[in-house]
Amino acid sequence: MVYQNQILNLGKTLKNVLDFDKLKFCFECGICTASCPVAELIPENYNPRTLLHNLLSGSVDMLKSAELWLCAWCNRCHNHCPQKINLPEIFQTLRKFAVEHGYFEGFYKALSIIREKIPLPASSCYVCFHPERVIGDRKLVNKAIKDIILDYEDNKQKPKSIFEIPGKKVAIIGSGPTGLSAAQDLAKKGYFVTVFEESSFCGGMLRNCIPEYRLSKKIVDCEIKHIEDLGVKIKKNLAIGENLKIGKLFQDYDAVLVATGAHVEKTLGVKGEELKGVFYALDFLEKSNLKKIEVHGRVLVVGGGDVAIDCARTALRVGAKEVSVLYRRSKDEMPANIWEVNEAREEGVNFEFLVAPTRIIGENGNVVGVECVQNELSEVDDSGRRYPVAVQGSEFELKANFVVIAVGQFPSIDFLPKTVDVTKDHRVAVNPFTLETTTACVFAGGDVASGPATLMEALLAGKQAAVTIDCYLQSSGLDSFDKISAKKLESEDCDK
Amino acid sequence: MISNVLSKSKEDLRIGVYVCHCGKNIAGSVDCEKVSKFASDLPGVVLSKHNLYTCSDPGQETIKKDIAKHNLNRVVVASCTPRLHEPTFRRTCEEAGLNKYLFEMANIREHCSWVHLYEPEKATEKAKDLVQMAVARAALLKPQEESTVPVARKTLVIGGGVAGIQAALDLADTGYKVYLVEKTPSIGGKMAQIDKTFPTMDCSICILAPKMSDVGKHPNIELLANSEVVDVSGYIGNFTVKVKKKPRHVSKDCTACGDCVKVCPVEVPNEFETGLSSRKAVYIPFAQSVPALYLIDEKSCIGLDNNTCGACKEACGPKVIDFTEKEKEVSLDVGTIIVATGLDVFDPAGLTEYGYLRFSNTITSMEFERLINAGGPTGGRLVRPSDMSVPKTVVFIQCIGSRSDSKGNPYCSNVCCMNTIKDALLIKEHWPDVKIHVLYLDIRAFGKGFEDLFRRAKEEGVMFTRGLPAEIFEDSKSGSLYLIGENTLENKKYKIEADLVVLSVGLEPRKDSDVVKRLLRLSKTTDGFFMEAHPKLRPVDTPTGGVFLAGCAEAPKDIKDSVTQASAAAGRAGILMSKGSVTVEAITPLMVSDNCKGCSLCEKVCPYNAITVDKESKEATVVEAACSGCGTCGAECPFEAIEMRHFTDEQIFAQVDVATAEDANKKIIAFCCNWCSYAGADFAGVSRMQYPPAARIIRTMCSGRVSTKFVERAFARGAAAVLVAGCHLNDCHYINANYQTKKRVERLWKKMERLGLDKNRLQLAWISAAEGQKFALKMKEMQAIVDGVSAEELEKSVKGFMPRSRVVVKKSEKAIEKTVECLTPEIQSLVCKKRSLPKDVGVKY
Repeated sequence: MVYQNQILNLGKTLKNVLDFDKLKFCFECGICTASCPVAELIPENYNPRTLLHNLLSGSVDMLKSAELWLCAWCNRCHNHCPQKINLPEIFQTLRKFAVEHGYFEGFYKALSIIREKIPLPASSCYVCFHPERVIGDRKLVNKAIKDIILDYEDNKQKPKSIFEIPGKKVAIIGSGPTGLSAAQDLAKKGYFVTVFEESSFCGGMLRNCIPEYRLSKKIVDCEIKHIEDLGVKIKKNLAIGENLKIGKLFQDYDAVLVATGAHVEKTLGVKGEELKGVFYALDFLEKSNLKKIEVHGRVLVVGGGDVAIDCARTALRVGAKEVSVLYRRSKDEMPANIWEVNEAREEGVNFEFLVAPTRIIGENGNVVGVECVQNELSEVDDSGRRYPVAVQGSEFELKANFVVIAVGQFPSIDFLPKTVDVTKDHRVAVNPFTLETTTACVFAGGDVASGPATLMEALLAGKQAAVTIDCYLQSSGLDSFDKISAKKLESEDCDK
Repeated sequence: MISNVLSKSKEDLRIGVYVCHCGKNIAGSVDCEKVSKFASDLPGVVLSKHNLYTCSDPGQETIKKDIAKHNLNRVVVASCTPRLHEPTFRRTCEEAGLNKYLFEMANIREHCSWVHLYEPEKATEKAKDLVQMAVARAALLKPQEESTVPVARKTLVIGGGVAGIQAALDLADTGYKVYLVEKTPSIGGKMAQIDKTFPTMDCSICILAPKMSDVGKHPNIELLANSEVVDVSGYIGNFTVKVKKKPRHVSKDCTACGDCVKVCPVEVPNEFETGLSSRKAVYIPFAQSVPALYLIDEKSCIGLDNNTCGACKEACGPKVIDFTEKEKEVSLDVGTIIVATGLDVFDPAGLTEYGYLRFSNTITSMEFERLINAGGPTGGRLVRPSDMSVPKTVVFIQCIGSRSDSKGNPYCSNVCCMNTIKDALLIKEHWPDVKIHVLYLDIRAFGKGFEDLFRRAKEEGVMFTRGLPAEIFEDSKSGSLYLIGENTLENKKYKIEADLVVLSVGLEPRKDSDVVKRLLRLSKTTDGFFMEAHPKLRPVDTPTGGVFLAGCAEAPKDIKDSVTQASAAAGRAGILMSKGSVTVEAITPLMVSDNCKGCSLCEKVCPYNAITVDKESKEATVVEAACSGCGTCGAECPFEAIEMRHFTDEQIFAQVDVATAEDANKKIIAFCCNWCSYAGADFAGVSRMQYPPAARIIRTMCSGRVSTKFVERAFARGAAAVLVAGCHLNDCHYINANYQTKKRVERLWKKMERLGLDKNRLQLAWISAAEGQKFALKMKEMQAIVDGVSAEELEKSVKGFMPRSRVVVKKSEKAIEKTVECLTPEIQSLVCKKRSLPKDVGVKY
């Protein structure tokens, strides 16, 4: 091995193994770090910009650093980088080196950092940090996560500072990652936290929609248990608005965090969506997680996001012979994570780009095919991507036994009082720094405010919300909160 | 080998060789003494010296003395690129009484020592080869006489921004006639839109307006506003330019009373105000416009086509509005052309993370100029667009569209840092309480008085934070913007709430600059700006004779630099015109009438239509004044009836032969065109890009000069690979001659295929003068090809390309058919057509 030399200069090595395109010159603008959710969560432990800097000038000791293992593969730094430096891929290469040389210190150190500082640490490891991508030995990874995170002694201890601030109660609507992350932090600070969950399961998207092959539900249960151990109460089967009036929450609690996520499926708006064999993504994932679904033959997945990829890979696992993903733009515009896409390809998922369905064809109420149209890309639109336009007369048919529609979700916020402002695209309007809504004592975070995002961003939102709620309750508390207006809310605006 | 070449030459050769150390530049990796010693043993060489700096005065004196003392009749200097010092040494030879065409250079710096810094032995071997090639070529050089052409004492200035205005005024004041063509209805350009100028904080329009009116009044300047150059023909000193004058629909008698504007019903965004206010379809671009005439915007006027509206016509007192005015074309004869086409401002709409167009309070620096300008839409009151209130916090984001590989352009736009500092001070001047953050990458305050201004901004309390924001969020209710970024000096995140965000946008080449580029046969650097003839020594000249650059067309620059460059361009053009004539390089073809069959192939490929074939006498003649000397006719002629002066077949064959004399199986013969690929290889040298030393570069004026014979000769002599490199297809300095190159190489590829040879061994590459990197990469790529060539393959190609003995077209028809079969398709058809030729004519192939 060339690299066994201990005085090896990593910068030089990197230059040898990565092509010039990936290792362009960095001007240290800080955009990578500014856009990185992990760097925001644990700024003292992780900074991709300085990590790259140290790698290029550093010695082999860098291979032992924990930072290398803290990239969550969201690819935001790469997308935002003015020099298009592919940081995740550079870190991936370095992780590989570390493993090849038997430097596992960094990995173990990283796991303890994740345990200490990141909510839902084990789930994050499986869903975001993906140590198994370089450590081929899954058993080793599972064992490390179990030993270092799940079975860690302190997890079972009661919070030390509980009830130091008596009488302050926080309600959290939604038990997804944002809700749980906020609940954990607030409980640790000594607040009474009650989480309201509409369904009979906790964990939100984490449980329902992340396929079992990516994250075992036992781990989610275990982590929720750890949070419950902190004194957080979780009330299941309680839909706000239906079973419980929201006004009651305002009365009973000092602050409310809305973390209901984004569940409402966007429809395609084409004929045939009502046919048997047509599923919407979240429904499909949820049912297949509960093993309530089986498919066969050819499955077409419409969409180009991470959810679409999850659906395609899940479809293969629940019986599909052939799975194709239809995306209306080209490969370059696809928002799905590139690693997920590559893994899906390896499993045999086909991708059809620049194709949009115009009609779902049915026979006797069952899906038999999809009529599609070929697209071409035109001008750049508001999202910064080139907008697809149908090519005249390019219609064609694809045979299909099942169709999964995964073209995006948006939040359901009808239960909120009118004083909580909503944005044009149907999200709760919040101050992006503090997550305050336009109504005092109401906060909102996660997908409900930002639109569908990654797990790391959801956890970050929970943490942010916890900080703001703590500030709000400590500094001003109920004093600045006009009780009269709260009562008004109850009687006039709420629960219409 | 060289003696074979020399035996062809009849006169008594006395060649002097000078190997230059260029300090350590060459001597650092090439053993100059060894090379010089080697050269002294070459046949024909009577004297070989090596010295520290050949181009210095003592160096040149040595050459002069030696010419006299040793009666030298050829001089070879092995030093830098001929693109740099060939004129210097040619002059030296001339001064010593030697015809300057008897001078030859070997490029052992850019093409050797600088690109093989770490392989001294191989570099020395290569230098020996290059010197030997130069000596072989020198032996065959012939003295030439240059002809002169007159230079018309008139100039065309394209573009009426501050650079165009300055150049026009300078030349007009010198006494030359100037045509100033401006695309928009008024001159003034971007400078007219700017509020204040840095570092002196002068009012921009106040210092520009007097110059604009000078242009309008100057007796020597003919201003063609609202006009475009549509065609340029001719050459240095004698250009014919066609200009399209778009209709104004308002005649020169307009009194600018403005009555028409009051009644016009059409409102469209005002371009001058960057769309921040509106104007009517009949309008005057801005108060200080020159010419101070109104005009009707054809695109938005509703009365022009169908007469549904004629309000302005009715309201016009002096009756100067004419709906029927048509586009006119005028033809101008000029001697020189100054290109001052200016710039475009980067459009940040593609950077969605900053939300330009999406958020009303995110504006560009150009919009800011109009907002703070007393003549602007808000009367100089800085307000944010969402609610017209004075912002409390203003954030400037630097490097928008600059210094980025993926989000805009890779270069630094030069003016944005100072512009922001100026803008920040302007705000502080009027509203001292406004908080100002400047988010930057690097503050580049490099000019005279710039640092002082930067200090003043810091004193005034402008906050400078290093690190650009990753994203901007908008509070849809208040319109406030939230920025998140990292302070990279403190490794800490910052979060700023701002009322107004100004994107400090960079400068770009004009989107329509390709038109001018094509018309004037200019080149562009990879940045997209026009390329100068030499970055240091000829910074305002272009590779096209008689055409000069001024202002931001050449690179982003501030007003002062634009004006300086404009005066420089005017000076350069003035030199040409005051002389009144210019000599043309003696590289045009000579027709060998004995060999000419009148086949008119040369006529067809000539990009300048400079060859005519007389149908009766069947003889081709060249119009020398129209010819630029690309040599594509010489490459096309199958009968050796065209001799390209100074780039003859024999000279090139001699270079090929010498280069392949030893170890041909490890060598690459590279034919590079003077303007792009040779210059690209020079650029690789200047940038010290290291590549394998296998290539032996032969310079031709155009890749169109590279005849299939040259390539075949190289393969026949066992060369491992051949590279033919020229300008990018539509960038040819000889209009379209490189399309012929492409055809010839494709023909050779077909032949190689037929012979069962590896086609990769012949490479065709389009490498511009700015693409040193590409040249170096190509060399590395070709080294891999050379390494992979087997002995059998080499043997096959040597056999396949071995020249056949003269194929004589015999009298019988059958024999003709048989011969025809073995010829290339082009010649096949030719021979078939020419059956009426005298039957004993030989067709050599």
